[in-house]
Amino acid sequence: MTQAAFYSLIAGALAGIGIYGLITQRHLLRRILAVNVLGNSVFLLLVALARRHPDYVDPVPHAMVLTGIVIAVSATAFALVLARRYYAETGLNHLPEDEE
Amino acid sequence: MIDWTFDLLLAGGLLGLAWQIVASRILFRSVVLFIVFGLLMAVTWARLAAPDLALAEAAIGAGITGALLLSAYRALLPDRDDGGEGGSPPPAVPPWAAVGVAVLVGVLIAGIGWAVVGLEPPEQTAGRLALAKLEASGVENPVTAVLLNFRSIDTLSEVVVLFVAFLAARVVAQDLVHAGPGDWLRASRREPLLVQPLIAFIAPMTVLAAGYLLWAGASQPGGAFQAGAVLAALGVLLRLTGRLRPTEETSLPERLVLVGGLVLFSAIGLASAGVASAVLEYPPGWAYELILLIETALTLAIALPLVLLFSGSGGLRGEVR
Repeated sequence: MTQAAFYSLIAGALAGIGIYGLITQRHLLRRILAVNVLGNSVFLLLVALARRHPDYVDPVPHAMVLTGIVIAVSATAFALVLARRYYAETGLNHLPEDEE
Repeated sequence: MIDWTFDLLLAGGLLGLAWQIVASRILFRSVVLFIVFGLLMAVTWARLAAPDLALAEAAIGAGITGALLLSAYRALLPDRDDGGEGGSPPPAVPPWAAVGVAVLVGVLIAGIGWAVVGLEPPEQTAGRLALAKLEASGVENPVTAVLLNFRSIDTLSEVVVLFVAFLAARVVAQDLVHAGPGDWLRASRREPLLVQPLIAFIAPMTVLAAGYLLWAGASQPGGAFQAGAVLAALGVLLRLTGRLRPTEETSLPERLVLVGGLVLFSAIGLASAGVASAVLEYPPGWAYELILLIETALTLAIALPLVLLFSGSGGLRGEVR
């Protein structure tokens, strides 16, 4: 097994864990964490595949992931501001549609 | 051959941490482990021959995101004591269904990777083309060449996203007392003795490190993203120790920095359409200088919104102790 194949499998496992957390957790902060784990799994897949060529490392996925890391922190920061405002207004740390 | 011991340890660490992040009963533990997860991701990037990503992940993924998460964790702590996390209801989806969906998604992602690895690699890929044309790009680091030259439209859009995230956060932000890491504490004479000497040492060193990362980005791992993240970390430090005071108003210099990267990048891109053959294509012979100019503006345009997002304010003012 090559390194690319090995880390692709790990990316799959991480994606599964991220989705599981996203579904089962209701606390907003935990959901944001789960989405970040999911995002990191996709980054890992891209970077692992950049390594599949025997003679060179593909710089294009690296550039995409670098862009992705900055986008991820922007989105996370905005999500956190939203969650804080929501908590300040309602006193809830989960969404109302998650109520039984 | 590859030494599999290290890879296995790394993968085991990533999976174990990810599981603890989503399943740990204590929220604070999840947040802290997410920061550790970011650092382990940085090691993974280094292992996968992506040092640019390792630098960015350590500074942004683990550093800035960690600071944002910890400050939000503090703000979301329930005032009343009803045990744990403020009484989130139990999940509505039965656990077996969640496990089923998770396994499906995991198999899908891993399957995509497995299938692509199994394919015969194509002769002509964008990456090979980028490496072959590296000399024409004006810089020697292939990742910087892709980011600032071959695919500069992506980088331009990314700065737009960061700017929009900042604007959107300002729209929904709370008042200054509740936003960001909380009430601003004036740096007083009562602060621990070592804070002032430490900052006097760290601040110039951080600026130096950011400048080096920016400069080195042309030929080695580094560049505007990493330099911007390091500068943002300095801003977080100064905000937390009371050296920077949050304000609602954004001053004119701050506005210029916030839009500077965007405006300069777009202006050069449009102007190049006249001189070179296409929009965002640099005129021949000027690529290196223009890339360095754009990267400098981008460094500031990445650092400032990140600090302001952390601070939860529209602007920052220096405060003399």
